[in-house]
Amino acid sequence: MLTIEQNRVEERVDPLFTESAIDLRVPCGVLGFEHTKDFKLHAFPDIQPFLWLEAQGAGDLCFLVVPPQYVVESYSIELSDEDVAFLGLEGYEDAVVLNIATFHPDNSITVNLKGPIVYNRRSLVGRQVVPRNAATLSIKHPIGN
Amino acid sequence: MLVLSRRINESIVIDGKIIINILRVEGEVVKVGVTAPKEIHVLRKEVYDEIHSNNVQAVGSSRSALERLLNGKKSALQPGKRELEVSFSAAQAPK
Repeated sequence: MLTIEQNRVEERVDPLFTESAIDLRVPCGVLGFEHTKDFKLHAFPDIQPFLWLEAQGAGDLCFLVVPPQYVVESYSIELSDEDVAFLGLEGYEDAVVLNIATFHPDNSITVNLKGPIVYNRRSLVGRQVVPRNAATLSIKHPIGN
Repeated sequence: MLVLSRRINESIVIDGKIIINILRVEGEVVKVGVTAPKEIHVLRKEVYDEIHSNNVQAVGSSRSALERLLNGKKSALQPGKRELEVSFSAAQAPK
C-alpha cells in the first residue's frame, strides 16, 4: 500500500500548469468508459486551476479536472498494491493526482475525491483508482458556495 | 445469468485468469476472494456505480463548462470560481 498525501501547498509552482499538453495512457479507461485509453491533458491558462482531460479519438469524452491541493487543505489517498504495481509507482513523488469536477446546472461545482485519476509522471500511465480509504472520501465535494 | 453452487474453499475461474474463491459464509455475508491480473479492476458494484454515474454527469457538462471558463462568462460560474481563486492565492501565500 502506498499513501499519497497532497497538502504541501507551499510547493505551489505547479509544473502541471506549465506544460501545455501531456499525452496520458489510461489502459483501463475511466470507470464507465473502459474502451477509451488515450487522453491528452491540456493546461489552458484561462481555466486554472482546472485542467482539460480529453480523450483522443473519442470526441465527447472529456473532463475538467483539478489537482486536489486546490480543493481541500489536505488530501490523503491509500493506493492498493495492485494500483501501485499497475502504475509502476516507486514512491509518492512519482504520482500525480487529479480529481474530476462536475459543473451542475445550478452553477454549483463539485469535485470527486473518491475516485481520483492518478498517473505516473515518469511513464505517463494513469488509472482512475478507488483508494482503500474511499469510504471516507466524498464523491461530490462542493467547491465555492 | 449463469448460476453456480459452490462450497467453501471452492472456486470459479473466469476466462482462465480471474479466480473467485468462496472463503467463508457467515449468516448473510459471503467472503469472496478475487485473484485477477492487475489490469483488471475489481470493485464493489455500488462503488463502481457511484463513480461511473458521477463520471457520466461530469462528461455531460464538461464541454459547456470549459467554454464558459474560456470565455470568462463569470456570471455563470463566479461563486465557485471566486472561491477557488481565493483558496489558490491562500495556498500560494506561504512562499
